[in-house]
Amino acid sequence: MTIELLDVRVTHQGRALVDVPQLSLEPGRAVTLVGESGSGKSLLAHALMGSLPSSLQVQGLVSFGGERTPLQDAAARRKLWGHQLALLPQEPVLALDPTMRVDRQVAEGHPGFLRGRRGRLAALKEAGNRLAGLGLHGVQGAYPHTLSGGMAQRVAFAAATIGGAEVLIADEPSKGLDPVARDALAQLLSRHVEQGGSLLTITHDLDLARALDGELLVMHQAGIVEQGPARQVLAAPTHPWTRRLLEAEPGRWDPAWRNPAPETGAAVPLIEARGLAKAFGGRTLFSDLDVSISPGERLALTGPSGCGKTTLGGILLRLVDPDAGEVNHHAELAGGRLQKLYQDPAVAFPARVPISAGLRDVVRRHNVSPERVPLLMDRLRLGHSLLDRRPGEVSGGELQRLATIRAMLLNPLVVFADEPTSRLDLLTQQETVNCLMEQVAEQDAALVLVTHDVGLAAAVADRHLSLEEAVPVASGRDAIAPQGSR
Amino acid sequence: MTILSTPSPPPSHPAETRRDHSLTRAAGKVLARRAAQAVGVTLAVTITCFVIVQNLPGDIAFRIAAGRYGYDKVDASTAAEVRADVNLDAPAWQQLGGWILDALRLDFGTSLVTGASVTDELALHLTATLQLAAVALVLSVAGGLLLGLLAAQNRGGAVDRLTDAWVSLVRALPPFILGLVLIIVFSVQLGWVPAAGHGERGNIVLPAITLAVGLSGLFARVTRDAVAQVLESGHVHFARTKGLARHVVLARHVIRNAGVTLVSYIGVQVLILVEGVVVVESLFAWPGLGHALVHAVFWRDIPAMQATVLALALIVVVVSTLVDLAVLALDPRTREAQ
Repeated sequence: MTIELLDVRVTHQGRALVDVPQLSLEPGRAVTLVGESGSGKSLLAHALMGSLPSSLQVQGLVSFGGERTPLQDAAARRKLWGHQLALLPQEPVLALDPTMRVDRQVAEGHPGFLRGRRGRLAALKEAGNRLAGLGLHGVQGAYPHTLSGGMAQRVAFAAATIGGAEVLIADEPSKGLDPVARDALAQLLSRHVEQGGSLLTITHDLDLARALDGELLVMHQAGIVEQGPARQVLAAPTHPWTRRLLEAEPGRWDPAWRNPAPETGAAVPLIEARGLAKAFGGRTLFSDLDVSISPGERLALTGPSGCGKTTLGGILLRLVDPDAGEVNHHAELAGGRLQKLYQDPAVAFPARVPISAGLRDVVRRHNVSPERVPLLMDRLRLGHSLLDRRPGEVSGGELQRLATIRAMLLNPLVVFADEPTSRLDLLTQQETVNCLMEQVAEQDAALVLVTHDVGLAAAVADRHLSLEEAVPVASGRDAIAPQGSR
Repeated sequence: MTILSTPSPPPSHPAETRRDHSLTRAAGKVLARRAAQAVGVTLAVTITCFVIVQNLPGDIAFRIAAGRYGYDKVDASTAAEVRADVNLDAPAWQQLGGWILDALRLDFGTSLVTGASVTDELALHLTATLQLAAVALVLSVAGGLLLGLLAAQNRGGAVDRLTDAWVSLVRALPPFILGLVLIIVFSVQLGWVPAAGHGERGNIVLPAITLAVGLSGLFARVTRDAVAQVLESGHVHFARTKGLARHVVLARHVIRNAGVTLVSYIGVQVLILVEGVVVVESLFAWPGLGHALVHAVFWRDIPAMQATVLALALIVVVVSTLVDLAVLALDPRTREAQ
């Protein structure tokens, strides 16, 4: 069944957020929409799904195999949910009910699930088969909080597709996934297409778009600016916007802040850790690990989700106790000269207080000159009016830059950034990292970057410490040798 | 996203047995911890209470004599009689020690004022309090949850605004005024139920409604916010796009998740119901624990007071234990923290 969208317009108080004259989905073909946050790509998907927030107005037509209905009629499409039209949600960890075992959550999408005891049993059996088919043996009875991000994504995939829907819409499905999990996801989505389904993927992840390899549509400011076969568009973009998007991939950066000649550690290290070991939930994350951080150096901690990067970071910051080993901080780090940036900056700002209040507190507590706040706001290309807003009222990229300002006010000797851009789109990531690194270079601070994005690590850091997949203690293999520092 | 660690894949025996294990284990730990707490609370409450009574102003023997014979007939000789009778001159630690040893044998002594067995009186008061609390709780939970659930479904709608008004009204209304109004309307004017007392049919209706009305507003508000929050969550949206109807999503996902918040909140309110309803008990002459405690303190009826306070303290432990167990059953994430 071919699905066609015609003259789609989504508006908010008269302002067009999506304006796309035509989009069609065909069986056996992957369609991928890329673009920055706010380009309207997600709204276009929700317009098709019929799940737009009620504050937005939508116009246009949707045709299911020739049968046309107006897009406003969301109720008509809600009837198709599950058995003809399915949505693979972003942030699968949040899309699963934390209080229900995963096989139930998969089974409830099965058409027979609510039809008596036999239907229910059949649905549960099918759910078990589907989960096993996705390599999730033995987790049928598990609760979502015990799964990794990649496993949760596969559970969500099983739950979205068990109803047999031909049309699958995937909304930022690779957000927060490491490269291994992302490739596994791309395979699942491609399999859906190979089996005759149609697929619409919304993403800002160009690697996912490459892996899906179907029709690629580039969205910018509510409209589609370029479209064509993914391989061709990504290799030879014609529209300037597409080129900008491609240049935002960390592998292509050529920033001024790059360290021309990294020093080779004669200086006294600021943080020195010896013989670190940590096990978590019956798994050895690492053992007998030595790490040292020298003034001005840039270190990346990399590895797949669940390998213990964040835990290692916590230990180096002395926020988490290691099972063995010790961490020494240089005396100069006292008084807030070791600063941390969080993956989700929203958790690092009080939700109901204007951002300016949090910055003012830092200024007062540490006797920083108050003029530095507006100065840094300018340097990080942020409008001063943002200070009066609350954390929920600015974008994720802006909030991370505000968190950077707060850290930089203290002239830190070490900045510890834990996945600071993993929730941001490529352009915002580039802007955010540029702002951070300009400050790091200017103040000659050391940087520790925790990331699962190898490209980003390569673009930013001089030295890399890679942790491998955690191994069960029981298996007897002793952990993880840190892979060579360069 | 960085997940701290990927737990080892669970073993492949059937889900049911595995679930029961983690729940049983966590529940066992909660029970052990709460049992230890009960012992500590008992000792702390008993000793504190005893010390406070010893240090209250006024002569204990005089107060007890007044309780026994009335104020008119109290003089130095009756007081001396009482003092000798209840052995008030013994050192304080002997009196306390004696009480604790007796209490260990579940012998709470006799009332210094009425001479009745404290155990019997406590049983009466405890039953009365639990009865009243249970009826008030059922009424308020039924009303509040329903109202809150409806309000959350349609935020900003008529039911939501009505709930808001109801919450403000009943919270602003002191229980004794509400109680008096109910007595005047339903007892004096309409004659449907007795105004006050205990042991007749219909006695419980007015005090229970008085308590339930105030609580229903709170429960409606908390339910509305808890349900609204769950309705906004990613997993509810995902459940809807799986094709599940609204009421199915509500039954399968919303209620249990909102329940985690609600159960804890209801637990706190139950404690307030049990302990803080002296006004309502007095108004309706309901022989509950709060009522009994006020009288025991007033007449320095030390054994009755000690027993009542102990009962109240243990109710706190029992209710907290029940809440813990309910939360463990509802939310698997709490099981590992145990």
